Amino acid sequence: MAEPLLELDQVYASYGAIESLKGVTLSVQAGEIVTLIGGNGAGKTTTLKCISGLHAVSRGSIRFDGRDLKNLPPHDIVRLGIGHSPEGRRVFARMTVAENLDLGAYIRKDKVETALDLAKVYALFPVLEQRRQQLAGTLSGGEQQMLAVGRAMMARPRLLLLDEPSLGLAPLIVQTIFQVILTLNQQGTTILLVEQNARMALKIANRGYVLETGEITMTGPASDLLVDPRVQSAYLGQ
Amino acid sequence: MDTLVQQLIIGLTNGMVFALIALGYTMVYGILEFINFAHGDVFMLASFLALTLVGALGLQQQTGMVFALELLGIILTCAAFAASLNWTIDRLVYKPLRKAPKLAPLVSAIGVSFILQNIGLFWGGMPLKVFGGGNQAAAPKAFPDLLPATNLLGPNSHLTLLPKDVLVIGASLTVMAALYGLVRFTKLGKAMRATAQDPTAARLMGIDVDFVVGATFVIGGCLAGFAAVIYSLYINTVHYQMGYQNGLYAFTAAVVGGIGNIPGAVLGGLLLGLLRALSDQFIGAQWQPAVLFGVLIVILVFRPAGLLGSTAREKV
Repeated sequence: MAEPLLELDQVYASYGAIESLKGVTLSVQAGEIVTLIGGNGAGKTTTLKCISGLHAVSRGSIRFDGRDLKNLPPHDIVRLGIGHSPEGRRVFARMTVAENLDLGAYIRKDKVETALDLAKVYALFPVLEQRRQQLAGTLSGGEQQMLAVGRAMMARPRLLLLDEPSLGLAPLIVQTIFQVILTLNQQGTTILLVEQNARMALKIANRGYVLETGEITMTGPASDLLVDPRVQSAYLGQ
Repeated sequence: MDTLVQQLIIGLTNGMVFALIALGYTMVYGILEFINFAHGDVFMLASFLALTLVGALGLQQQTGMVFALELLGIILTCAAFAASLNWTIDRLVYKPLRKAPKLAPLVSAIGVSFILQNIGLFWGGMPLKVFGGGNQAAAPKAFPDLLPATNLLGPNSHLTLLPKDVLVIGASLTVMAALYGLVRFTKLGKAMRATAQDPTAARLMGIDVDFVVGATFVIGGCLAGFAAVIYSLYINTVHYQMGYQNGLYAFTAAVVGGIGNIPGAVLGGLLLGLLRALSDQFIGAQWQPAVLFGVLIVILVFRPAGLLGSTAREKV
C-alpha cells in the first residue's frame, strides 16, 4: 500500500492529569472514507483536535502527506490541506451565511476557483444559497451543520475531518448530510468521520476504527465491523 | 437655547475623546474578554510624549504648512509610541496569562496601570522647561495652547466654536471612519470579527489568532496615542493621573455602549460627554459625578448588556 495520507502513531493526549488518548494509532489512505466510532468521552473529538492542532499531542506523532505536524499551529495545518468541521458546528452566529463561507476560504487567494467552489457548495446545499444573507445564528440545527461542512469545504481541503455531523438532526437531514459526504468523497476529498451514529457511518465508510476510553480496540473494513457481534451489541443496539 | 447648543458642542468634543479611548477597551474586550486596565495609562504616557515633543520642537501658537506638518508628526509619533507600548505590554504581561483564570490578567493589568503611572510621575520630574523644570513631578503640566483662539462663528456670535473643537471632532470622526473601514472591509478586519466571535473556529479557518490579538493591541494603542494628542491640545493640561480618570470614564462608556461593540463604544463616549456637559450647566458641576453615574446606572438597570450590546452571547 502507498504511504497513507494521514498517519497517527501512538498518539497520547491529556486534559490536565486525565489522559484522554492512550496511544492511538490509525491511518487514512488518500481517497478513503474512514470512520472513528465510540461512546461518549472515548476520545473521538480529542483525536480530531490533535490532528488539526487544537489540542496538544503529549507523545507520539501525527503525519500528514509525509509531513510531521508536531508543533504546527492550527492556522498552518489548515494550509497543508486539512479541513475540520468541529464538534458543535461553531458557525459564526452573528455573521451571514455568505460571510461564513467567505471565512472558510480565508487562506485562499485564487478568487476564480474560490467562486467555483462556492457555487459547488450552493449546489450541494441549495438551502444555504436561499439563506445566504441570513445570520448563521438564525439557521436551524441542520442548516448550521450544512454551513459548517460547506465552510470547511471552502478551503478545498484534501482531508476533511467531520465531528458528529448527524448530532441532534432529524433523520431526513442526516440522510442529506451523509449523501453530501459521499459526493464529496467521490469528487476526491478524503474523509475522517467521527460519529455516534455508528450504523450510518459504517454504511458509507470504507474502513472503521472503534475507540474506547482513549484506545483503539477494533479496526477493519466497515462492512465487517457492521456485522461484528461486539460492535453490534455495543454501538448498533442489537 | 444658546447655552444648550454651547454645552452640546462641549459635550460632543469631550465625548469624542472618551469614545477614542473607549474603542481601545472595547476592541480588546471583544477579542479576549479581558479589560486592559492599563489602557488609560498608555493614553497618559502618550500625552507626556506629546508635551516632550512640543518642548523639543519649541512649538508655539502659529499657523502655516510647516506647523501643521509638525503637529501631524507629533500625532503620528505618539500613536506609534502608544501602539508599540500597548503591544509590548500584551506580549510581556498578558500573553503568558492567556489560559490562566480570568482574574490573573486582570490583576496584572491593574499592576501595569500603576507601573505606568509611576513612570509618568518620573517623566513629569524630568528637568525640562515644558515640565516646569521638573520641580513638581506630580503637579499638572501646562500644555501650550497651540491653536488660535479665534471664534470660527465670528467675534459677535453668542456661541463659541474654536479651531480646536473642529480639530477634535473632525479628526476623531476621520479616525473612527478609518477604523470602521478597517474592521468592515479588510482581511485583518474579517479575521478580527471572526476571532471575536469564536477564536477556535477562527483558528480552523486559518486565522493566526495570536497575530490578530497583537494587531488589536496595536490598533487600540494607536487610537489612545491619537486621543492623547487631541486631548492635550484641547484641555491644555497633562497629568500623571489623567489616564486613570479618563480611562475609567472611557471604560464606563464602553460598558454603557455595550462592551465589545465598536459603534457602542462611540455611542457610549458621546453620551458620557454630553451628559457631563449638560449636568455641569443645568445641575451644577459639583454634582457632575453623581448625576453622570446615576444616569448610567439607570441605563444599565434597563439594558444590562449596554445600549448596543447583545443580551446574550449566541451559543448554539
